[in-house]
Amino acid sequence: MQHADWSTLYPWLVWILTALIGMGIFMAYAGKRLHIRRLPAIDAIEEAVGRATEMGRPMLFVPGLAGIDVPSFQAVAISGHIAKLAAKYRTRILMPVTNTVIMTMAEQVLKESYAEGGAPEAFRSEDIRFLSDDQFAFASGVVGLMNRERVAANFFFGNFAAESLILAETGQTLGAIQIAGTPSTLQIPFFIAACDFTVIGEEYYAVTAYLTREPILLGSVWGQDICRIALAALIFATTVFHKLLPAPVLKFLGLE
Amino acid sequence: MFEPVREFWLNLSLIFGAIFVSIVILAAVHASPPQFKRILTVIVVFIAGLYFPVEFYIPRHNFLTPYGDSVRNLVQVLAAFTFGLGVVNLVLIHGRHVLQRTTNFPFSLAFFAGFLIMTFVGFIQRYSPQFWVKKAEAGQISFWDGMHKLLFEGMLIPLTSTVFSLLAFFIVSAAYRAFRIRTLEAGLLMATAIIVMLANVPVGTWLTSWIPAEGWLKWFRLENAAIWLTTQINAPTQRAILFGLWVGAIGAALRIWLSLERTFTAGSR
Repeated sequence: MQHADWSTLYPWLVWILTALIGMGIFMAYAGKRLHIRRLPAIDAIEEAVGRATEMGRPMLFVPGLAGIDVPSFQAVAISGHIAKLAAKYRTRILMPVTNTVIMTMAEQVLKESYAEGGAPEAFRSEDIRFLSDDQFAFASGVVGLMNRERVAANFFFGNFAAESLILAETGQTLGAIQIAGTPSTLQIPFFIAACDFTVIGEEYYAVTAYLTREPILLGSVWGQDICRIALAALIFATTVFHKLLPAPVLKFLGLE
Repeated sequence: MFEPVREFWLNLSLIFGAIFVSIVILAAVHASPPQFKRILTVIVVFIAGLYFPVEFYIPRHNFLTPYGDSVRNLVQVLAAFTFGLGVVNLVLIHGRHVLQRTTNFPFSLAFFAGFLIMTFVGFIQRYSPQFWVKKAEAGQISFWDGMHKLLFEGMLIPLTSTVFSLLAFFIVSAAYRAFRIRTLEAGLLMATAIIVMLANVPVGTWLTSWIPAEGWLKWFRLENAAIWLTTQINAPTQRAILFGLWVGAIGAALRIWLSLERTFTAGSR
């Protein structure tokens, strides 16, 4: 197996970034008040839930081609917060999945969220459906589900590939309000074109902090922003002073 | 790390023993009080999340390295337990449709037919290709191989390709909406799209072929303008998004590892 090469910057960088994020969490824990900028896409979630309730139709949450990874876990966490809102209005959330581990996890998270939202009886375990682990079989299953249930709101959060536009365009045809967020940079343009609101880039990992306003989560988002500033400064400095840096430093930075 | 057991009965006993112990553990966890579940989840997530970084960041082969394959196998075994749940979920949902004769119950019948036929043919073709049929002559394809080919290559793959081909139509409708020039951003998008699209077809390069190929004027040739747009505008933007994403992923991983993202610590509320 491969191991970290401590003679280069990269392993150090990961720990420095982790320490910075940890510092943000610690500062928030210690009581520092932190602010997070407005994210219109996330503000629209409540509007979407309200609209589905008014129309008396269910909502659809697709966690993408979920695997056991951080983006999928983040998607399930977001679904939990949407379920809490849905519980307030006794609205159903349909959640088709491609991965049985994520299905089990989502079932537990949604069940708890409905209970926390004050409507445990509104949770139906059959609304979390394993369709297929094949990309296009899953896509056709979701399209069928959207059409049969006439969903009023679609949430697409997670890893997506070519099926993203098939899903989003079907939702658009049905007139559903659509909110999407994905770490797959190739799919972001498709979601921007077909959805009402799209969460871009790092905003994807800030959604839960934004929704809950929990100080510790806000602290991690603050820490991430400090990391980005530090990385941008590092890139800028190494670009400008590239010619002046001695060979060992260039080697350490991986520039030689 | 562990050598496979060669003795058949001992191997079988170990497999069934492991399944039994796993089921007992899962049942015990399931029946335990919420507070215990929460503490257990926090501890297991922390220890499991600690293994890989520590193993990777200790230089060279270290005391944790020999356990790597076993830990990865453990993840697969845990995932395998949930696979059965996926099948149960499908059967329950479609079974209910069939039993209650709902409007869409023919689709559920199609599911059962597809599921049973595919499973049956797949297993027979793989494990007992002589089942109920004569052995294929040299140069002939056996019955079960043929059935497998028909179902998977003749039906499943074309069906998948059909769904994929829908993408072409959806791209047109999405592009139409995206390219309606209502704002400055939409106008810029439209202009760049036209340049990049034209640069990728012969007529596009022909249109600006009269512009000198050398000197600063060369950047007005469509093929050069497209290269400039994709390498100097598009690529850095994509990289910037990816930078933000990966730092965000570190933050999210840290939150999950330390169980600060309370959504996953079942029974916490």
